[in-house]
Amino acid sequence: MSERTEPKPSAPILEVRGLRKAFDRVPVLRDISFSVEKGNVITVIGPSGSGKSTLLRCASFLESANDGDILYDGEYALKSGVYAQKKDLNRFRTLFGMVFQNFNLFPHYSVMRNICEPPILRGCEKEAAEERAVTLLKKMGLEGKEKAYPCQLSGGQQQRVAIARALALEPEILYFDEPTSALDPELTGEVLKVIRQLAEDHMTMVVVTHEMSFAHAVSHRVVFMDGGYIMEEGTPSEIFDNPREERTKRFLSNYRK
Amino acid sequence: MSLMTMIVKMSEGLGKTCAIFFLTLLFSLPLGMLVALLRMSKNKILSSVVRFFITVLRGTPLMLQLLAVTYGPYYLFGANVSRNKLIPVVIAFSINYAAYFAEIYRGGIESIPKGQYEAATVLGYSRFQTFMRIILPQVVKRIMPSVTNEVVTLVKDTSMAFTVSYQEMFTIGKQIANSQTSFMPFIVAGVFYYLFNLVVDRVMGRIEKHLNYYS
Repeated sequence: MSERTEPKPSAPILEVRGLRKAFDRVPVLRDISFSVEKGNVITVIGPSGSGKSTLLRCASFLESANDGDILYDGEYALKSGVYAQKKDLNRFRTLFGMVFQNFNLFPHYSVMRNICEPPILRGCEKEAAEERAVTLLKKMGLEGKEKAYPCQLSGGQQQRVAIARALALEPEILYFDEPTSALDPELTGEVLKVIRQLAEDHMTMVVVTHEMSFAHAVSHRVVFMDGGYIMEEGTPSEIFDNPREERTKRFLSNYRK
Repeated sequence: MSLMTMIVKMSEGLGKTCAIFFLTLLFSLPLGMLVALLRMSKNKILSSVVRFFITVLRGTPLMLQLLAVTYGPYYLFGANVSRNKLIPVVIAFSINYAAYFAEIYRGGIESIPKGQYEAATVLGYSRFQTFMRIILPQVVKRIMPSVTNEVVTLVKDTSMAFTVSYQEMFTIGKQIANSQTSFMPFIVAGVFYYLFNLVVDRVMGRIEKHLNYYS
């Protein structure tokens, strides 16, 4: 059962409390708590293996957490390590979208079908879905690519299709799991540009990234993770210009030139 | 007996050869999928039982399986050997080929990256929709070369039906060879199989090309 905490007008869209996750007894997330307010962009930075991706994968139910709470819009999806019923989880799934490091487009579908099929399966009219797909592709700078197959596109284009596919379901919050890590440096720019555009449109987003200047420029809050803990959290200038923790300073010094 | 008479007599068995071929494909292709899914079941007992049957079917001669299915009921229960041998022959072939197809399907299904399932889940596809719409079409494309191999082998394996004297083309050829002490019927049979497989090759090539709309 998912129960409502008092219906605050501005309950955070996502709230995570005391989240724990271990793989074969190796702890990956230890006591993670944070929340995302509507319209905010949160970037999660930190060294490899710090648990950034696992955090997103727990929030999107791709991994099951061992303990803690996950709340969407003030409703429990996970309460003290126990998940809500399947139909409730499916309802929460309609609230978020996910963009993967490896795009995970469906290779046997055209760009159009990749974007349109999920909304159509959820009961959207075909014409409306297609119209929306065309608008989204335009926004992604991919006009005229409707009939192309993913293999005919560059990595940057594929990732932008994946973003359009996630947006087509009109999620309340969008997760990005290292969206540019699989791309050549010259292609990361075009992907970061559309994410930045979404931020300007007040899309709520959580972005796991290694792109520090991007994190600095677009985020409302930056979360620095290490060893399964959130070591430090704050505004971009707090984290990048005045980090309090020694660990944060050391991590960021790798990116300074 | 002239060569022409031989060819005519043997062609009379071609219908039965085709019957084994098409009926076996009709039953073993879907049955193989069922077996593959059971083999990959999370239920350990179920998957081990299925795995055991697969090893038996792949590890013993098809000829033995044909004899077992055709004459087994007689030796075990004293049941009459069915007059229409097509039924036991197709049962034996279908079960045997299903075991091979199952392993091909399993290989194909396991080769699809985990990310495809994850994307589908996040996008709201049910497990059934994910399998039918996202996984299966990609599997079909990937396994086509292996399936073609099996289909070509099946054409030649139909000759195995001679062990239970089912009157298909090769059985007739063998009888003529015996009565005429001639090697000619075997050559005719070889040509028949070769021509049959030329057609199979064409058809499978068409299907593969059709699936090549993406890479």
